[in-house]
Amino acid sequence: MRILVSGANGFLGQQVVKRLLERGYSVRALIRPSASEPAEWRGKVDIFRADLRVNADLVLAFDGIDAVIHAAAATSGSEDSQFASSVVATERFLDAMVRSSVKRLIHVSSLVVYDWARAKGTMDENTPLESDMYVMGPYAIAKIWQERVVSRYAAAHHWDLTIMRPGFIWGSQHAAIAGMGRKFGRIYLLFGPTTRLPLSHVVNCADCIVAALECPRAIGQSFNVVDGDDIRVWRYAREYANRTREGGLFLPVPYRLGLGIAKLASMTSRIFFGKKGKLPSLLAARRFESQFKPVRFSNQKVMETLKWNPPLDFASCLEATYSDRR
Amino acid sequence: MKKLKSAIVGCGAIAREHLTALAELNNVEVVALCDLSAARAEATSERFGIGKYYTSYQSLLDEVHPDLVHITTPPSSHFPIANACLSAGLNVICEKPITIEYTDFCVLRELAAKKQSMLIENQQLRFHSSVLHIRDLISNGELGEVLDVQILVAVHAPAGSPYVDLNAPHFSLSLRGGMIGDFLPHIAYLMHIFIGPVSELRTLWSKRVVDSPLPADEFRAIIMGERATGHVTFSANAQPGGFWLKVIGTRMQAEANLFELPRLTFRRFRSGEPALMSLVDGIVESKDGLKGAVASFWNKLGGVGSYDGMTEMMTRIYRAIEMKEPQPISLEEIDEVARLVDRFTKPEFKL
Repeated sequence: MRILVSGANGFLGQQVVKRLLERGYSVRALIRPSASEPAEWRGKVDIFRADLRVNADLVLAFDGIDAVIHAAAATSGSEDSQFASSVVATERFLDAMVRSSVKRLIHVSSLVVYDWARAKGTMDENTPLESDMYVMGPYAIAKIWQERVVSRYAAAHHWDLTIMRPGFIWGSQHAAIAGMGRKFGRIYLLFGPTTRLPLSHVVNCADCIVAALECPRAIGQSFNVVDGDDIRVWRYAREYANRTREGGLFLPVPYRLGLGIAKLASMTSRIFFGKKGKLPSLLAARRFESQFKPVRFSNQKVMETLKWNPPLDFASCLEATYSDRR
Repeated sequence: MKKLKSAIVGCGAIAREHLTALAELNNVEVVALCDLSAARAEATSERFGIGKYYTSYQSLLDEVHPDLVHITTPPSSHFPIANACLSAGLNVICEKPITIEYTDFCVLRELAAKKQSMLIENQQLRFHSSVLHIRDLISNGELGEVLDVQILVAVHAPAGSPYVDLNAPHFSLSLRGGMIGDFLPHIAYLMHIFIGPVSELRTLWSKRVVDSPLPADEFRAIIMGERATGHVTFSANAQPGGFWLKVIGTRMQAEANLFELPRLTFRRFRSGEPALMSLVDGIVESKDGLKGAVASFWNKLGGVGSYDGMTEMMTRIYRAIEMKEPQPISLEEIDEVARLVDRFTKPEFKL
C-alpha cells in the first residue's frame, strides 16, 4: 500500500512517516518546497513538494496512492494565517483528492474541537463539539473549520474517513505544552497543578494513527488520541524543569481562581469593547477552559476499537523526549 | 431607515478590518461577501452575521446590487474586479494600492467618471486621529507653516515573516518594490496631504539581507513638494516597528506613531528662559508620551490597533453616498497619489 502523508515534515508528520516505513508501507511525503528532507528518508520516501496555501495542481500527489493521512496544519500565527494554512490549504488538498481515485482518508484533528465548557466529568467522543468557535483562539478556529471541511468533503464524495483527535502532542524539542501553564522568566505559573493532562506522546500518537489506517472498524469513526490521563500538571512541569535544566519557582494557581480572573477580564472587555475586545488567551475565559479545565480524558474507544495500546509508557516517553539533552 | 447595502470581495485579514469598521455604522448593512475559498467566505459570513456568501464575484455582482463594493483582495486582482464593479455602475472602495500599474488606474478613473460611480482607494491613515489632529493644528495656525515632513516606517521582516515566505510568496512581491511597495500608497498620500503636489523626488533602494526574496529591504526618498519638503525612510530591518510621522512647522513639531494611537507628542516654540522652557518641554512631552502609551494599550485591548482611521473613512464615504455628495477623497487626489507611488518605483528617480 502506498500512503500519502501531508504535513510530512512536521513534528507529528515525521513520526507518522517513520511508523509507516516500520510497518512496511510505501510512503509519499508531501512537504513544502523549501523544506529540507530528513536524512533518514533518502531512498525510502517518495517526496512531493508543494505548498497547499498556493494554487497548484496537486492531483499528481494522489497518483498511485491508496490512502491519505492529512496531518498538515499550522500551529502558530495570526487567525488569518492559520486559517489559510489549515483550512484553505485543506480545501485545495481535498479538491485534488476529489479528482483522484483515493477513498481512504485519515484526518489529524485535535481535542480543541470539543466544547470544553460543556465537558463534564470525562471528555470522550460523545462530548459536544464547540458551537461558539469564534470566541476561541486562532488554532481552535482553524482546527474546528478544518474538521468541518474534511467531514463535508468525505460525506459528499463517499470517502472512508477516520478523524483522530490527539490531546497535547509532545516529544523531543516539543516538550513545552500549553496545558502545563506559562513560564514568565524563572516563574512557572501552574493553573490547577493537580489537573490531569491529555498527553499524547508523538511516538504513541503516530502509532495510533497508523493503527487506525489498518483497522477497517475505524472507518466512519472519530477517536480521541490520548495515552491516558494519569499525569498531572505538577508532575509534567517538574519533569520538564528538571530535564531541561530550566528550573525556577513553581507557583500553583487554583483552576477556579484562574478561571475567575479570566471571566472577570472577559466581562470587563465585553462591557468596554463589546465583541471587538482582544484578550490574551490566559484572560479569555473560554480559551482558559480549553487549556486547563480539570476533567478526565478517556481513551477507551480508541483502545477497544483499534485494539491499541500506547507502545511507550510515561517513563519511556520521558526518555525518548529528553535523551538528547544529556 | 433604509440602510445602505455593502458587499465585500476578498475575506482575508484586511476584510476583517473593513467589516469591524462597518459594524459600527448604523446606516450600513453588509449584504454579501465573496472569497475564492468557500470555507473562508462561509466562516466570515458566520462570524459577522452576513446572509449571503459567494465564491465568484461575478455571481455576487449579478445577484446583489450593493451601494458600495469593498475590494479587499490581493493587488493583482484589483483591476479586473474594480473594472467589473464600475462597469455595472457600482461604487467601489479598493484596498491599496488601487492598481499595480498607474495606466490601469487611468482606465478605472475614466470608467468611474463615465459611470458617475465612486472609485476610492483605502487611505485610512488620512483619517487617523493623530493625522486629523495635526491637520487641525496646521489649519488653526498653531503649527505655523509646514517646512518638512518625515516618515519612518519600520516593519521587521526576518526569516519566517510572511513577507519573505519562500513557500507561499507574499502578495506584495507582485508589486514593484515588494513589501515596500505595499506601504508606498500610505507614504504617498500622507506626503501629499502635508507637502502638496510633488515637483522633484529622488529615491534610494537597497538590499541589506542578500538572500531574502525581497527586491529591496531599505528605501529612502527625498521629496520637494509645492508647500514643503519630505523625507522617507522605510526599513525591513529596523526594530522596533512603527509608522512615525513627523511634521515640522515654523512654530511647532508634531510626531505620531500611526501604528499606535493616539501616540502623539509635540514640541512647541516657547518664549522665556531657555533652561526653564526645556524643562517644561520635557514634562509636557513625557505627559503626552505616557498618555499616548496608556491610550494605545487600552485601544489594543479594544481591538482598534493601527486601523484607527478606518471607521472615520467609512463613515464619510457612506455619508457621501447617502447624501449624494462628492466622494470624500477626490479622484484627482487618488490620481496624484497613484502617480507619486509610480514615481517612487521608477528608475529615472533613483539617486
